[in-house]
Amino acid sequence: MSAPILETRQLRKSFGGVHAIDQVDFTLWPGELRCLIGPNGAGKSTFFKMLTGQHRPTSGQIFLEGKDITKAGAHEIGRMGIGIKNQVPDVFDGLSVRENLTLAARFALDKAKAAVKLEEVVDRLQLQSVMGRTVGELAHGQRQWVEIGMVVAREPKLVLLDEPSAGMSTEETARTAELIREINRDATVVVVEHDMQFIRSIAAMVTVFHQGRILVEEEVSVALSDERVRDVYLGRSAA
Amino acid sequence: MGDFFQLRPASERPGWSWWSVVLLVTAGLMAVPSFYDLAFQLDTSVIFVLALLALSMSFLWGYVGILSLGQTAMFGLGGYVYAVMSLNTGDTTTAALAGILLPALFAAFLGYFLIWGRISDIYFSVITLVVTLILEKAIRATSGDQFVVGSVRLNGQNGIPGVPALQVPWDPQTELFIDGVFYLTAACMMLVYIGLRLLLVTRFGQVLVGMRENRRRVELLGYDSRYYQLGVFTLCGAIAGLAGVLFAVWGNFVGPSMFDLNQAAQVVIWVIVGGRMSLAGPIIGTAAVVYLTTWLGTQGVGQVTLVLGAVLTVFVLLFKKGLVPSLADLLSWLANGAKGRSRP
Repeated sequence: MSAPILETRQLRKSFGGVHAIDQVDFTLWPGELRCLIGPNGAGKSTFFKMLTGQHRPTSGQIFLEGKDITKAGAHEIGRMGIGIKNQVPDVFDGLSVRENLTLAARFALDKAKAAVKLEEVVDRLQLQSVMGRTVGELAHGQRQWVEIGMVVAREPKLVLLDEPSAGMSTEETARTAELIREINRDATVVVVEHDMQFIRSIAAMVTVFHQGRILVEEEVSVALSDERVRDVYLGRSAA
Repeated sequence: MGDFFQLRPASERPGWSWWSVVLLVTAGLMAVPSFYDLAFQLDTSVIFVLALLALSMSFLWGYVGILSLGQTAMFGLGGYVYAVMSLNTGDTTTAALAGILLPALFAAFLGYFLIWGRISDIYFSVITLVVTLILEKAIRATSGDQFVVGSVRLNGQNGIPGVPALQVPWDPQTELFIDGVFYLTAACMMLVYIGLRLLLVTRFGQVLVGMRENRRRVELLGYDSRYYQLGVFTLCGAIAGLAGVLFAVWGNFVGPSMFDLNQAAQVVIWVIVGGRMSLAGPIIGTAAVVYLTTWLGTQGVGQVTLVLGAVLTVFVLLFKKGLVPSLADLLSWLANGAKGRSRP
């Protein structure tokens, strides 16, 4: 088997005396579609922020294809071919959809290739009808898709998404799940989510966080029927 | 005209309509000295100079999202460097180049600490303003005989009079007269305007605009926004320095008021009135406000500052985007309206 694409060793993040993430060893293999789940405050967002260089770990290490990226800044991680989407859409609200996607594509590719890539992304995301609109005027779901478009326009090998379906309608959520499966054909994908329906629909391996540690790491159906996972979601004591 | 009035940078190159307007305006400006007297040329030249200063501020604010209230620091430095060097050496070409280069270096130095220190936007504005005020106070405190650079006394409050006129670089015997200064300042303004517009088309320019919209997204896309911020702050420092040199050449004088609060605030007013999210806006805003100020002065109103304050208030309340973008909105509204009406 090939080397892990992403690995954390003894990763810890403390806020004051609280360990939001406590000695986490996490391994992700190339081509995987992995969901990080857990109740509120389980530490999954903190974990995500560390993977994406937006939080510095208190201790421990993060490796991308064997290379230590623990101390890399957000821009360096972005440059290594990791596509990142935070929970709150980070888009260029004052610019048109076309400009947003062009900017993203041109960051990584030369002008001719960027134009080709742009067409491809627009097709995939079905954004043709809104290309000239200002992103700030779009509905929440569409802004999320524009951002997903910006992430994939750079042809990342690893895509990290934080709650991509947050605030979306049922239809939009289904479409997003489909998109994520498509992205997974070319890239390894990590999704932070707490919508169970959504997780079932993308049918992946899940890592369940609880109180800053990994509780269970299993196939989605197995994980969701696990007694301990039910306990933490229902607020019963897991011990 | 669409390009000329444009509210935000298109990712495409400016079209032929933009180029024709630019060429027409340039041709018009070049013809001015043949039709108007020297007094008019003198009054207009200073508008071009101040428009450069306004551009150095509005480009940072409107396109990159950096509000620097202290572009006057680089403006004053440019003027003083030119004055001191040209009086010392008699060589105005080198002095002018140094008057652009040193303010740029100063901006780079200042920017390095502000940007790498990850100072928040509001402190960036406050610190740049404080820097220009510190320079003003420092210069004002140099009235004594001991403050001499080479053979030139800094003169504190009174400034340095008798700053040499610019010599033609390849013919140092010939000095630029009023019409020469008019051509030079007009050309500098147009070149900087064209240069900034073309810069927006490049990837560097697009990253700058991206930073205004969402700095984190730019970083997540893989770009170290600090280098881009420092680069553009240095560039705008050079433009402000150029404006300072030209100001010294225009008036044969530099003084501490180039750095002061009044000057710094006026730049903000020009930019707000003209519209920061356009490149033509600050130029037109500067022209309008400077002209209005002069005109009010001759009308014996006596309360010029008060009237200017009222003008600013009106613009902030009614034309939030400024003169040029509001006009563009009006034009596009009219165009759309016409289209709507023509449909059966």
